[in-house]
Amino acid sequence: MKNSYIGQAWLVIVLSLAFGAALAAVQATLDPRIAQNKLRDALDQVPRLVPGATGGRAETIGELTVYRATDEQDRPVGWVIPARGQGFADVIELLVGVDESVQQVTGLYILKQLETPGLGDNITAEKWRNQFRGRKTGEDLLVTKAAPTRDREIQGVTGATISSVSVVGIVNSAVTKLRAALADRAGGPS
Amino acid sequence: MNYVVSLVTMAVTTALINNMVFHFFVGNCPFIGVSRRLDTAFGMGAAVTFVTTIAALLSWLLTYFVMAPGAPLATGLWRLLTRDPAAAADLSILSYIVYIFVIAWAVQLVEMYIRKFFPPLYKAFGVYLPLITTNCVILFVCLEIMKHIGTGATDPWDLGKALTYAFFAGFGFLIAIVIMAGIREELDHCDVPKPLQGPGITLIIAGILSLAFMGLTGVDGNLAKLLSAKSSHPAAPASAPAAERSK
Amino acid sequence: MSRDTGPTSLERFINGILPENPTYRQILGICPSLAVSNTMEGAVTMAGAVAFVLLGSNLLISLIRHLLKPHLRILVFTLTIAAFVTIADRFLAAYMYDMSKQLGPYVPLIIVNCIIIARCEICAAKQGVGPALADAVGQSLGFALGLASIATVREILGFGTWFGKWLGWRVIPDLSAQPQVWSNWVIMILPPGAFITLGLLMGVMNGIEHARAARLKRTGGKQ
Repeated sequence: MKNSYIGQAWLVIVLSLAFGAALAAVQATLDPRIAQNKLRDALDQVPRLVPGATGGRAETIGELTVYRATDEQDRPVGWVIPARGQGFADVIELLVGVDESVQQVTGLYILKQLETPGLGDNITAEKWRNQFRGRKTGEDLLVTKAAPTRDREIQGVTGATISSVSVVGIVNSAVTKLRAALADRAGGPS
Repeated sequence: MNYVVSLVTMAVTTALINNMVFHFFVGNCPFIGVSRRLDTAFGMGAAVTFVTTIAALLSWLLTYFVMAPGAPLATGLWRLLTRDPAAAADLSILSYIVYIFVIAWAVQLVEMYIRKFFPPLYKAFGVYLPLITTNCVILFVCLEIMKHIGTGATDPWDLGKALTYAFFAGFGFLIAIVIMAGIREELDHCDVPKPLQGPGITLIIAGILSLAFMGLTGVDGNLAKLLSAKSSHPAAPASAPAAERSK
Repeated sequence: MSRDTGPTSLERFINGILPENPTYRQILGICPSLAVSNTMEGAVTMAGAVAFVLLGSNLLISLIRHLLKPHLRILVFTLTIAAFVTIADRFLAAYMYDMSKQLGPYVPLIIVNCIIIARCEICAAKQGVGPALADAVGQSLGFALGLASIATVREILGFGTWFGKWLGWRVIPDLSAQPQVWSNWVIMILPPGAFITLGLLMGVMNGIEHARAARLKRTGGKQ
């Protein structure tokens, strides 16, 4: 009986080896492309988030991974910070663009969100995200329901206060983290 | 303490809010097929929970130590073989194959257990017991765990979190299938239009149940806040997150 | 044990589309039918992925059908399907990255999609390459039809578009400025809409089938 089990298992073994080889080949050819796709996701947004930028490259400062926005002559013009945090329904992933001296927010892009369609997912609307442009980072940004009166106020999405508050919170903490990381690193701008 | 809070939040989220059947659409085939009677539905739910937890345990161990990018055993072995101390090993392409075999093995295990200790249940299940292998819930849980292990993971899960996730995912499936069985037993006395009998009316009711469960969105985030507030400042009054919701 | 008799290639092909439609008649593959059917693009991509896996595994299993031992065959099916799904998943991530992100975990879940294992068991393990391939094509078309029917209802009512992401066609004009005239049925994009749509569509399909059977009985005869 044992003999027949091994005898019968040869097909499974041969198939496993054949598939293993095929999958290894697939991995070798496709993995570089997939990694590039993932990187391009964020880098594509850099020109839209930092004025004057044409491209960017990933950089690690301490424990923080950010993107350095550069112009055509490869001079640094700003930073793009990937950040995430808990939204209303699930985690929100976004990109915050700031200027070179981390004094001003230059743009916001939502990478991934699962907020309520029609309500919370209006945080992806360009009109709402444009509110963040030009905001000074000296003080934390706040969400208001009515039209904003002070420079640090952002008007929340109607009917989606929690989503708006979450996004603003993520932006605040991302900027703070970058400032702290740059201050820690010797010789970096602060 | 924070760890326990995160486990409790994850349990509530997975079982109720991101319910496997009503939110993620997995586990629909047995949900529609086995939900006619309450006792078989409960047995199926329990079996799925059991299988999911065992499969998740094995998957986590295999993924963490062998298959994830940068896994210790695989990387160590690869470095030995190639004599390159900086070589990286990434066996994640074999993940799907390994998971489905782990699941099949776990189902075999549970099948033997049920046949030995609960023979009438074994007879009642019939062909549906080996079909648990094709239950999307289990593979979905394994895939979710895979996302949270390894060097590319943004929010790494240790074994405790993975097992909590798996157990309560199965538990959520149990809740869903038991509710549906209860409703369908009542439906036997109702006058369902002929075209809708069977899967049609089951799906429509599942839709209404899904709508009901959607009302629980946001409970997890606020539950976490509530529990953290209570654990760090036991004297502080609990906030009223419900008032914040202007939806 | 394999018999090379059974339905012909043409019969297999035609059966897969409507008479043995996976979604409405066999009630298989419900998980992806609900999950990715909120847009036509997702539905078409998923149908394409399932077609690839179905064709590949039917072909391979049919070629080795004489070597399959009874109690190891499910193992072999599973191994084959899992390998093809891995290839399909990586291919999507490499060449259709946005679609891959939208479909998410539902592409690997094709492994446990009952349609594919059922076709391997019922057709590929018992018949030659011709009928197996025809069966795969027919069933894939049937599955695509099922998905497309659900996706059409959900996308038009939920977004107002049809193939909105790829072709940008609007079926319902953009009335977001006048919500009192028409606003998108957001529920259609969410899980409840999926369940209810499929339930109602199944009712419609069953109703048509019952009417046809009743008419046949009345006329007492051939189709």
